Parts: sequence; C-alpha cells; structure tokens
Amino acid sequence: MSEKREISRRTFLNYALMGTGGFLAAGMITPMIRFAVDPLLKASAGGDKVAVGSVDEFGPEPKRVEFKVHTKDGWYESDSVLSAWVTKNDKGEILALSPICKHLGCTVNWNDNPDYPNEYYCPCHGGRYNINGQQYIGTPPTKPLDEYETEVKDGKLYLGKIKPNPRPGVSE
Amino acid sequence: MIQKMYDWVDERLNVTPMWRDLADHEVPEHVNPAHHFSAFVYCFGGLTFFITVIQILSGMFLTMYYVPDIVNAYESVKYLQNEVAFGVIVRGMHHWGASLVIVMMFLHTLRVFFTGSYKKPRELNWVVGMLIFFVMLGLGFTGYLLPWDNTAYFATKVGLEIANSVPLIGPYIKTLLTGGDIVGAQTLSRFFAIHVFFLPGALLGLLAGHFIMIRAQGISGPL
Amino acid sequence: MAKHDKDATFVGDSRISAKRIPNIAPSYSDFPGKSEPFWPNFLLKEWMVAAVCLVGFLILTVSHPSPLTDKANPNDTSFVPLPDWYFLFLYQLLKYPWASGDWVVLGTIIIPAVAFGAMVLAPWLDKGKERRAKKRPVATGLMLVSLVGIFYLTWAADHEHSLHHSSNQAGGGAVASGDPNFKPDEIWTKQTSCMGCHGNNMEGMVGPNLQKIGSKYSAEEIEGIIKNGKPPGMPAGLIKDEAEIKKLAEYMAGLK
Repeated sequence: MSEKREISRRTFLNYALMGTGGFLAAGMITPMIRFAVDPLLKASAGGDKVAVGSVDEFGPEPKRVEFKVHTKDGWYESDSVLSAWVTKNDKGEILALSPICKHLGCTVNWNDNPDYPNEYYCPCHGGRYNINGQQYIGTPPTKPLDEYETEVKDGKLYLGKIKPNPRPGVSE
Repeated sequence: MIQKMYDWVDERLNVTPMWRDLADHEVPEHVNPAHHFSAFVYCFGGLTFFITVIQILSGMFLTMYYVPDIVNAYESVKYLQNEVAFGVIVRGMHHWGASLVIVMMFLHTLRVFFTGSYKKPRELNWVVGMLIFFVMLGLGFTGYLLPWDNTAYFATKVGLEIANSVPLIGPYIKTLLTGGDIVGAQTLSRFFAIHVFFLPGALLGLLAGHFIMIRAQGISGPL
Repeated sequence: MAKHDKDATFVGDSRISAKRIPNIAPSYSDFPGKSEPFWPNFLLKEWMVAAVCLVGFLILTVSHPSPLTDKANPNDTSFVPLPDWYFLFLYQLLKYPWASGDWVVLGTIIIPAVAFGAMVLAPWLDKGKERRAKKRPVATGLMLVSLVGIFYLTWAADHEHSLHHSSNQAGGGAVASGDPNFKPDEIWTKQTSCMGCHGNNMEGMVGPNLQKIGSKYSAEEIEGIIKNGKPPGMPAGLIKDEAEIKKLAEYMAGLK
C-alpha cells in the first residue's frame, strides 16, 4: 500500500519536473529560435520594380539595358547594377532575359559570335540559347536563361525580380 | 520502445550507474528551502549556473547576426536589436544576464564565505570558484566592447589605460589586448575571440571541475 | 569499472561489465530524516525557483531594451566614459589622490592584488575549524568592511557620473536647439558670469539654453534659481545686487 503511494508520488514529481523543465527550456529558447528563424518569416522585400525605359524602344531584336537596384542585405545596403536583354514580339509581349548563363554563371551576349548568328552565346563554354532564352540541347546549359518580372505602366517598362524561365530546351 | 532503446545503450555503455548517482544523491535538510526558508541562500549557485546557460545560448544566437568588425559591428547590433524579431529580447537576455550572473555569483560567493564552506576539505573548490569569478569578470570586460558604441569604446579605453599603468608589464598587457597602438579594428576582433572562444572554453572547464568536486565531496554540512 | 575480477564478464571485447545494474530509484525510506533525493524532489524545487527568476528576467528584458549609444567615435570628447557597473568600484578607487598619480601602483596593483589574493587564499588564511561567521570575527569583519567599501565606491562612482552626465545632456540638447538669430537684451549681456555657461546669446553651452525660459519658469522662480542655484550645475549667488537679479528675472520671464 505504502509502496504504491510512493511510486505514484514519485511519478507525479517526475511529471511536475518535466513540466517545469519544459517551461524553463521554452522560456529560454523560444525567443532565441524566433530570432534565428526570422529570415524565414520575414516577408521578402518584394523588390520595387525599376524603370528601364519606354516600351517603344524595344523591338523583336534583343536590346541590352542596364539598371540599378538598391539591395538591402541586413545592415548592409548597396546599389548593384544588373543588366537584361529585352525583346518585344509581334503580339507586344515583352521578354526580359537575365544575361547570366545557366551553366556556370558567365555572361551571355546576343549575336556576337559569327558562327552562331541570332543566338545568345556564352563565351566560356559555348553555351547557346535562342531568342526566347531556351537552351539548345547538346550545349552545356541544362536550363533556359532566367527572366525578369516585367510590368508596363504609362508606356514605361519596369523590371522586377528574377524568376525561372518556364520554356523547355530546344534541339537544333 | 524508449525502454528498449535505453536498454540497448545501457548494455553497451553502462550508463545506469552514472545516471543513478546523479539522480539519487541525497540533498540534506539544511539546504532545502522547503524545510528552512533561510536555505534559499543555497540557491544562488544553481541560479548562477542557470543564467550562465542563458548567456551561452543567447550568445550563440547573437553571433548569427553579429560581426566583429569596426565598420559593421555597430550596424549589425543595431540591426539585430531593432529589425530582427525578438532581437530586443535576445540581446536583452545577454546584456542583462551579464549583470545578473555577476550579482548571483557575488551572492553565492558571500554564502560560501559566511557559512565557512571553503574550509578543509573544500579549499580547491573555493579556488576554482574564484577563478570562475575572474573569468566572468573577463567575459564582462571583453563583451562590453563588442557593440562598438561610444559607451563600449570609451569604457574599454579607460580599462586599457588602467592596465597600462601597471608597472613594468603594463604596456605589454595593453599592447597584447589592443593588438595594436590604438583601440580599433584589431582590438575588436581580439576581444571577440577572447569573449567567444578563450574565456568560455576556460569557463566550461572550470565549471566541470567545480561540479565534479561538489559531487565528490557533497555539500558542506549544517552549521 | 574494469576491475580485475576473475568472475567478471564483459560485453564483447569491451570493458563494460556484462552485469546489469537495475535502473530503479531507491525508496524514500532510504533517505534519513528530512533528506531527499536530488531527482526529482529537490531539482523540482530548484527549477521552480529558476522559473520564477526566468519570468522576472524576461519581463526585465522586454521592459528595458539594452542600451545602445551612438557608434563609437574616438573624437567625441564630450562623452564621459563609464565602465560596466561591476567594475565601478575599481574605477572609483583610481580617482582618489592616494591611489593615482605617483601612487597609481597602489590603486591598480596593490589594493586589488591584496583583496583578490586574500579571497583566493581564504582557506589558508582562515584555517580554524570553526565555520560560523560569528565565531570568526576577523574573517567576517574584513569581509564586511570590504563589502561596505565596494558598495560605497560603486555608489560614489555612479553619483559622480550622474552629476557630470546630466549637465552634459542639458548642454548637448541646448546647443542643438539654440536660435542663432536670437539677440538678448543688454541686461543679459552685462552678466558675464551667466554668459560663461549659458552663452553670449543665451543659446546654452555647459548650462541649458535660456532663450525660451519664460515658458518654463515665472519671474519669481527664476529669481530663486539665480539666488540659490539649481543642482546639478547652476551655482548660487553669482549676482549679488538684488535689484539687478529682479530686473534680469523679469526680462527672462518675458522670453517665450
């Protein structure tokens, strides 16, 4: 009888101890965890779109534009210069491609290699993309060139964040 | 399931004796506040350790944002305090905890002193405790500089001037701590290294020694 | 663990004994009198104390954000340096003439070394068997004297600093808000003792800006402040002539 009571008292104390210990640990750790995971929960800055020029300037032939983006990286703020190849097709749809090669990050150029006219060509390893940024299967890149989010407002073209290009690769 | 896992580990490492030794050692009546309220003075050692744990954890988390560099240190502290969620609390824990740990340790030292607990056979534990005290003061001194604000900068400058006034070795101590001729970039990274690696390492070793000695000798008897 | 016992059996080729010790807590009756096991009885009490402390501590951290002054600027001469509070007693010690200048060795080395050395060596300095504080008058007395000393020095350092600091702040704030186009009356420009602290155009320097003092104090109050001073910085009795004080106070009370 008394043996039984003792066991239940010990069990009770054990549970109480776990509870208190849990409270202590939670009280200490919760603020710190929230502090550490803050980057996950912070709404991404969205990135204001930057005007790169009037829509009329662009045509079916890719045109290179440079624009400045203000980056805030924690306490470190900086301006970085980005560039894009912008085309406008017959339907008026605008495509702004990032010039960063999806192979190893070199910079591609439009139509600068006489062997491959009317293509984006990467000088590092010979990666090639067509006018829509689709990579030619068989050249080093395995993904199409990234594109910028675009927006046309009051006749001006605004470029936003980089997003992946949904178009598949093409064979020659 | 858990029992099976425990048995599996126990068979290989024989952990039961260690665990039972920790759990079943007896706590005498005279240190138990439930029996004599005045025994709360025996809590200060445990509370010092508790706050030390808070200090270690909050310090680890603070280094996720902090940069020990004179250009960025202040900016990063400002950022983590004002813009990161709960940054005020985590930095507050580390800042106020630093003061609290000194208070608790002070009270613990006084308890040990006035109960004469440092006497034979516990002399060595007293000495280790004193070393812990010095390490804590060192942590306080080095940590004070890290936010790189005016308070930090000038307090450290004064502290180093005091070190400089020590005869013969003073200037060497000062140069060693400053890492150069002025309190600047090299001082900050030195203080960071001392604050984050050297002193905590020493502290953990000393704490382990402190606790092992307490377990070996038991708590001092009633007066 | 690995005793050289003939009958000892081990797990595999390890040195872990094959004999299992049951993981059972001893009965409470194994503990004599009011002793109790560390786990879970005593630890529970300790953790409850810790929980109370943690709650108080978290309230403190939320209600008092840690201070952060301006970014370190070595050229900021107006900043009064102050170490963290637990170093204040050492800092204050060095302000006294007998522990600074030629005697700085006393303040930086000898006194701290003797004090801390005595603490470290306490077990060997106080070798008696007696543990009660009352029965060890020398040890207890010395400790109490040092405690009073530490508390006094800490208080003195903080007190002196708050005197400096508040006048500093008043000065700093006033310079920023001083109106450069403000031209004080002749009655002010006669008072060189006032201008020394409050500026030629009452714009404030060491003392606060007085250009709009009338919105804060009445003529009688200003008269009282001029005569009796105002802590921390304003000294009493700088102007002796009663009529002059009255005239000045009336002029200043009109500045709004």
